[in-house]
Order: sequence, then C-alpha cells, then structure tokens
Amino acid sequence: MKGKGVACQCDRSFAFTARASKVDVGAPPSAGAFDQRPSSGPTNFRRFYDRGDFPIALEHDTKGNKIAWKVEIEKLDYHHYLPLFFDGLKETEHPYDFFARQGVHDMLEHGGNKILPVIPQLIIPIKSALSTRNPKVMCTTLKILQHLVVSAPAVGEALVPYYRQILPILNIFKNKNLNSGDGIDYSQQKRENVGDLINETLEAFERSGGHDAFINVKYMIPTYESALLN
Amino acid sequence: MASRLFPAKTQSGPSPKSMTRPKVWTEEVEEAYRFQLAGYRDETEYNAIKLGQGMDRWPHNGFIKKLQRKDGCFYYYDKTRECPEKEVNKCKIYVY
Repeated sequence: MKGKGVACQCDRSFAFTARASKVDVGAPPSAGAFDQRPSSGPTNFRRFYDRGDFPIALEHDTKGNKIAWKVEIEKLDYHHYLPLFFDGLKETEHPYDFFARQGVHDMLEHGGNKILPVIPQLIIPIKSALSTRNPKVMCTTLKILQHLVVSAPAVGEALVPYYRQILPILNIFKNKNLNSGDGIDYSQQKRENVGDLINETLEAFERSGGHDAFINVKYMIPTYESALLN
Repeated sequence: MASRLFPAKTQSGPSPKSMTRPKVWTEEVEEAYRFQLAGYRDETEYNAIKLGQGMDRWPHNGFIKKLQRKDGCFYYYDKTRECPEKEVNKCKIYVY
C-alpha cells in the first residue's frame, strides 16, 4: 500500500500539472542508502560448517567464548580457510556468527606471515560483509579490519590498493553517530557505534598503511582528517 | 583433609595441599585461568598428563599461547589479558 502511494507521488511529480504553481507533489522518496540489504542466500561458511568441514569442535556450552581447534592453526591452509571464515562475517545467526568471528580472530592472532599472501582473497568477503549495511555485521567487520592491519607486518600496506573496494561503504556511514545531547550513548561503551568504529578503523589504516595511506583514504573519504599529520 | 579434598592421582601428578581464590588479577591468576579454561588445574597437572607437549607461550610476556585439551583439541589464547574481572575470583590457585 505504501509502495503504491510512493508510486503515485512520483507520478504526480513528473506530471505536467506539477509545473503549475501551488501544486504539492510531496517529498521525494527515500533513496535507501542506509537500508539493510537482503541476504543473498546461505554463505559458503554456513555450508561448510553444516557439513562439518571445518577443523573445529562444535561445542555449545555456556562458558564458550573459545573455539577448540582439532588441528593446530599453524598447520592450516590459510589460502583455503581464512577467506571462508571471512565469508562467515555476513552471518547474523548463532552459532555461525560466533564461529566466524572467533575463527577469524584466532587465525589473525596466530597467523603471522601466513596472512599477507591471502589478503587479495579477503577483499570480496570484506566488501560483501560491509555491503549488507547491517549495523551488527558492520561493527564486527570493522573490528576485524582493525585487527587485520596489525596482525602482521606489511598487511596495512598491502590493503592500500584495495581501499577503492572497502572504503565506499565506510564513506556512507562515517557520519552515522547518535546525537544524544548530554545523554549517555551506551553504544560507545559497548563499541557498537558505527561512526566511531569507522573513524577508529580509518585511523588504524592510516597508521599501518605507510606513506600513501592518508592520501588514498582522503581520496575515497574526503571528510577524513588525518590522525598523524597536523 | 587435603587428601580427601584432592585425592592423589598418579596420572595427574602430585596432588595439591591447598587452594585459594584470588581477589585481584595478577599474572599468576591469568596463568591459572588459561589452564583451567582448558580443563587442567595448572601447569603441574598439564605437564604430568601431556608431558609439556602442545604448550606454547607468547615470547614477549610469557602468557600461555596454546594448550592441548584432554580430548586432543587445541585452545589458542591472546597476547594480552584474557581473564575478565568477573572471572578472577572463580580461578583457583593451588599450592603443593
């Protein structure tokens, strides 16, 4: 019904009577830049998890904030598993979201120099996770990006050529911040404020991205101000 | 009394004489937290069962990095403090 109303409004605004004075054609419809996008079916991560292809023990206990790995992480094929875990960042359902998040965390924390060669394969999962425009998914992905750039030397520099893929979504949401006056914004404490997280992430990119990082970030996000210069 | 509380097990090494609950976080508490999350009392029991295999420490601060559970799975720990404040008094410090 609402859609029909919008359609009528659009029709009216393009009708020749709209040129006449004192005709109210209403406000333009929302473009939906911030709207959450529908998911594109089950992720590869979910398929692999359901099939039991990951070397992790599936436990559902109450204290579980850890993954029990059946194989040592050092022996894992990062080219295969790291992109798959990144693909799971899109998930919003338990337990997929937890295992994807924690799996990425463990692999980045203990990956060392095995992370750098896999960077090109991580760009598409990162981009598609950010493109869901789901606040929860975006927060997780931004925290993971912050972890990624400090996970190993030269990873920050290796991400610079891919700013063009990653940063447009960050540009859209950069100013998404709650103006609560002098009230308390609890999302700050919980680190769920998208605007703040984006600023933190961009600063992390700039710090770890070498000489070209700032100019490349500035090119994609003109409102970004350097945390290092000035 | 101690022997009733902590029955001697030859497999898990010497049995502890007493146990205390910490009030504040220290590196010792962090160590106990990491071992107890993996299902062991402390390093003594781990060494007795696993003979020190599968254990790894972070080089910069000596925190536990990797442990192998009794079922053979591996737990990986962060570089920095993992034990949250609310878990501090749930840790157990054993004295031998």
